[in-house]
Amino acid sequence: MTQPPKPTPPERPARHGPPVEVAQEVFDVQGQETARLLARVVGTNALESGGRDEVPWVRVERERLPHVAERCRDDQSLRMDMLHLLLAVDYVEHLEVVYILLSTQTLRKAMLKARVPANDAQVPTATHLWEAAHWYEREVHDLFGVTFTGNPDLSPLLLYEGFEGHPGLKSFPFHDHDEF
Amino acid sequence: MTTTDQRQVDMMLNLGPQHPATHGVFRMLLTLDGERIVDMEPHIGYLHRGSEKLCENESYGQIVTLFDRMDYIANLNNELVFVRAVERLMGLEVPERAQFIRVLLCELNRVASHLLFLGTYGLDVGAMTPVMYTFRERERIQNIFESVTGARLMHNYIRIGGIKEDVPSDFTARVRAALEFVKRGVDETDRLLSFNEVFLLRTKGVGVIDAKTAVSCGLTGPNLRASGVPYDVRKDNPYEVYPYLTFKVPVGERGDCWDRYYMRVLECHESISMIEQCLDLLPDGPTMTQTRRIARPPKGEVYVHAENPRGDIGVFLVSDGSDKPYRLKVRPPSFCNLVALRPMLLNSYVADSIAILGSIDIVLGEVDR
Repeated sequence: MTQPPKPTPPERPARHGPPVEVAQEVFDVQGQETARLLARVVGTNALESGGRDEVPWVRVERERLPHVAERCRDDQSLRMDMLHLLLAVDYVEHLEVVYILLSTQTLRKAMLKARVPANDAQVPTATHLWEAAHWYEREVHDLFGVTFTGNPDLSPLLLYEGFEGHPGLKSFPFHDHDEF
Repeated sequence: MTTTDQRQVDMMLNLGPQHPATHGVFRMLLTLDGERIVDMEPHIGYLHRGSEKLCENESYGQIVTLFDRMDYIANLNNELVFVRAVERLMGLEVPERAQFIRVLLCELNRVASHLLFLGTYGLDVGAMTPVMYTFRERERIQNIFESVTGARLMHNYIRIGGIKEDVPSDFTARVRAALEFVKRGVDETDRLLSFNEVFLLRTKGVGVIDAKTAVSCGLTGPNLRASGVPYDVRKDNPYEVYPYLTFKVPVGERGDCWDRYYMRVLECHESISMIEQCLDLLPDGPTMTQTRRIARPPKGEVYVHAENPRGDIGVFLVSDGSDKPYRLKVRPPSFCNLVALRPMLLNSYVADSIAILGSIDIVLGEVDR
């Protein structure tokens, strides 16, 4: 049975109010130190960097993401032993995959980011580095359609078998959905 | 016998999703070799409401209610972490009185959450009495919440820039009176259950997880501290008024079910002491910052985390400068704690599976979001 074409969602109304401000990015003392250590560990892999408060971030090529994460984990000054969070953000023209790493020993936090083109959403897996990556990657695959190459099991985690589409994406409509 | 032959005698056991001991709609497929668990496959998502996506369609003030519904046992803790993320992005300074009240209510909520765990964990391993005592004491805390926020659950009390309104005039007296009972209730449960011989046999040395695996799985909160890792966000990355309070972080040794259970008993005592300190230090003053009615955080992104009763909750917020978040991602502690269920369950007996699952203290509303 063919389904009727779904209506396009209405355009978001133009925002009104004061002009858009941009948040100031200022490190605190711990953040400065972490940013320095992170820059040394990431080295020439870094494309761009920044951060605020105690959390610095570094953008790397997507192929290098697990490799850089492994160096952060094994480096003696950072010792990022926990994958605190793995998420994706949909910027329409590209997706951004973000690792948030945390050390239970040095108590430092850092973010690693990689841009992923929307039409070729593939990132190497990090499941060999952290157990926690299994479920995070399945969730991101569910909601954003990012394929983690090398992940042994990318079956649906939060959605049911046979669900079509990726509800996390900006192109997925809000109010037009099928009853299960 | 070859490995293939051994696989043929294995038995599959389906547990859940409709099972009273899974604390919600959680399903696991156990592969058994006799009575031993050789493989385990968890299934979640039965309660998936797409909360993170819903947040993108609500204004910042409305999202507080969605956070109430994620971890529905510790609502105020959940509200606080989201509100802090928005405040950090906007650079808002919250009045000290509001901060003290927030921390006080969060610690009360932690005690209520742990009391619920102590009672239901007793039920999981076959002790029917403690739940009567713990629910009686939890009720006293819920009554305080009702008098302060107007709701027993789903409070929607912590607002961006402060709290909804000041606490009632008899608040201090009520909390002090309730704390006396709660303290006695925790002691009673402790004496009744913690060192009961049957309880010790059911939980000691069961579901052991070592510190390295626990950290790799992303286990946090009392579950991680039971394995001997003294990681607590309130101590290691203090927020709100926690730097003013003195408290100890209980740490376990073996990482078995009993340690995970007993961490909660000890944390109840620490939280009660923190509440008393907050009452002593509670300053006068305003409870809300002067800010625009509709929050419009500047363009940027922020990551904030905090200590929930169940572990380390985090909020990653991307703002595009409008009154709705561009992207909001929650790090749900129960979700990550469930990852550690598999290493705990493997090679244990099927009779222990409920004791192990119960000891992690999951809330499915938060796992599935």
